[in-house]
Amino acid sequence: MNKAKWPAFWFLLPAALLFVIFFYWPLLQNLYLSFFSWNMISPTMKYVGLSNYIDILGSKEVYKIIGNTVIFVLIMLLFNFVLPYLYSFILGHLLQRGKMFYRSVLFLPATLSLAVASILFLWIYNPLAGPLSIVLAWFDMESPRWFKENLLVIFSICTIIGWKVFGYNLIVMLAAMVAVPREMIEAAKLENASNWTIFRRIIIPMTSSTAIYVFTITVVFGLQYVLVPVNMLTQGGPDQGSSNLVYIVYQYGFIFFQTGKSAAFAIITMFCYMAFLYLKNKYLEKKVYYEN
Amino acid sequence: MMMKKKLAALLLAAASAMVFTGCGSSDNQSKGGVDKKVQIEYWHVASESFGGTTVKELVADFNAKHPNIQVVEKYNPDMYKGLTQNLQAAIASGKNPDVVQMGWSYLNYAAENLKYTDLQPMIEKQAPEDKNFLKENYLPNVLALAQTDDGKQIGIPYSISVPVLFYNPEIFTAAGLDPNNPPKTWKEVVSAAKQIKEKTGNMGFFMQEYADNWTQQAIIESNGGSMLKNEGGKVKAGFDTPEAAAAYQLLADMVKDGNGLHATNEEGFQAYLSGKLGMVCTTIGKRANFEKSAKFKVMAAPFPQFEGKELKVPAGGNFLMLFSKDADKQKAAWEFIKYIESPEALAKWSTGTGYLPPRKGVADDPNGFKKMIEENKNIQVALSTMPNLVKWASFPGANGLQAEQLLIDARDIILSGKETAAQALHETAEKINNLL
Repeated sequence: MNKAKWPAFWFLLPAALLFVIFFYWPLLQNLYLSFFSWNMISPTMKYVGLSNYIDILGSKEVYKIIGNTVIFVLIMLLFNFVLPYLYSFILGHLLQRGKMFYRSVLFLPATLSLAVASILFLWIYNPLAGPLSIVLAWFDMESPRWFKENLLVIFSICTIIGWKVFGYNLIVMLAAMVAVPREMIEAAKLENASNWTIFRRIIIPMTSSTAIYVFTITVVFGLQYVLVPVNMLTQGGPDQGSSNLVYIVYQYGFIFFQTGKSAAFAIITMFCYMAFLYLKNKYLEKKVYYEN
Repeated sequence: MMMKKKLAALLLAAASAMVFTGCGSSDNQSKGGVDKKVQIEYWHVASESFGGTTVKELVADFNAKHPNIQVVEKYNPDMYKGLTQNLQAAIASGKNPDVVQMGWSYLNYAAENLKYTDLQPMIEKQAPEDKNFLKENYLPNVLALAQTDDGKQIGIPYSISVPVLFYNPEIFTAAGLDPNNPPKTWKEVVSAAKQIKEKTGNMGFFMQEYADNWTQQAIIESNGGSMLKNEGGKVKAGFDTPEAAAAYQLLADMVKDGNGLHATNEEGFQAYLSGKLGMVCTTIGKRANFEKSAKFKVMAAPFPQFEGKELKVPAGGNFLMLFSKDADKQKAAWEFIKYIESPEALAKWSTGTGYLPPRKGVADDPNGFKKMIEENKNIQVALSTMPNLVKWASFPGANGLQAEQLLIDARDIILSGKETAAQALHETAEKINNLL
């Protein structure tokens, strides 16, 4: 045993080094950058101490942005976590016919790029010429300005991301669903348990390890996905209505060329993620059932 | 995703820069001394799909006509920001290019931070016969575009775009409006938009909502307002005035009355191209794209005026700056500038990009623009506003671009009717003044 320890260590080292170079080193660089004022062009960087952080935390902007981010996360959890959960249960245990059909149809959008999805939805949501506005017109309703109203814009962007992510999360959840032993469900059915009881008492506990994975990627990746449609369609607008912790880092860095503030926002974002992971580990992880 | 792309682009740029400098130095060695061929570098931002082929064509033609000069063109990705970054690095290492395209919004930054060569003194020294070249060939207001606030000519205007009013003649006819007599004033725009909505059910008007305030500046300044003001040597937000508010309120009221569209830029253009929108106020740079994509005949009118007030349209595009230090290179660079600013070359450049030529007389020059203009009335319309060109206002300092964003946010507040124009502009001016 003792001998075998070292080769394993050496085998992993190159990968770990790559991580250190391309992940932890930039992180430190980013921290360093957050104490400066620099426009990416000027040859001199000005040291400003903590003033980037003080500016950010003292502004109204940051609270609106954190609020938006929370709303993004909540809507995305609905589209990309709760819905796939329910659908995968239906697909895995209730549906008798057309399993392959539904599986492929629901997964297909996941293969398209987010940029393509964004352009598609820009058309769908067009308030004058889009298909949705035509459908609404049948009912004598006027199309709302999907990308120009507070809150509505977050919903609209979340549908784009949902369209892209839903299918993937569904397939992952489905794999967990079909791994639940059939005998257990058959036994429950013999006892006259309702579908809801089966879902609550058997499915949720048995699939919880996958569910927590999907939950986490929905939050962590989901927020990163937000960057593409926001940058393409709204640039954070209207009046920062769709701005969020990820986009604001990009906006300060590559639109305002205030790399110091951008870096400070990035550090703040990282702390938010860390808080999320801490809470998740503390409160959710305990309830999860791992088979091994 | 974007970050990764940016990074990839940067790496690519670095790699290509190495290749370029590599080629450059070996060229110098092979040609140096013997036939005294002067080599100069021309940096531009014209990608393959936006004028890049025209740049190559012009450079090749110039090199063929001038056996003693060799121009090397270099494309800089990521527009003027990318170019400025490369330029700063090049100047720092002493390998500066000679002729460079620079965006109008970088004018102040370039004047304050780059070691450029002063144009007029250079001309007087190296090419005294051309000492009146600038004065004779350019309108004074066009020349002023490339001047700093203290009147220093830091470059020569090269590419110009102006905002115009595109309209759909079919919708005009259906609404009982005369497509050959488009609205000339904002009052007429408002009533035309109303008529379009009432008679055809289509939306009347949309003003571009890009991530800048270019057209908004045009309407504010045409109503006698201003974007910036100079107070005791400090630049401040100048749009907290009744004139600016009235101009903006006019747009907001059209949206409120249901005759004007408030949407993302692409949505507005889509709506126009699919025949659901009567008028679009945007750059002449969209002309070729509109004409190609629309199912109807795209027609343009000059940017509308306010009755009895002077029309002011901000210039988009770029100007040329000179960075050569030694006399031979300066002479060669001046030859090259004169060539690409010649009527024929400008006509080619215009065709390749959609920009308007900055020079006087290109429009009537038989070798220049004339044929194109005769064939396309929309270009003629845009050209007619050249005497009304003003500088594209840019907020100074490190927070300038952020200030621009605040004004974009104000646009959403005003057009969505959340606050009146006067209120929103006042609040935004205060915020911006704190930043500057």
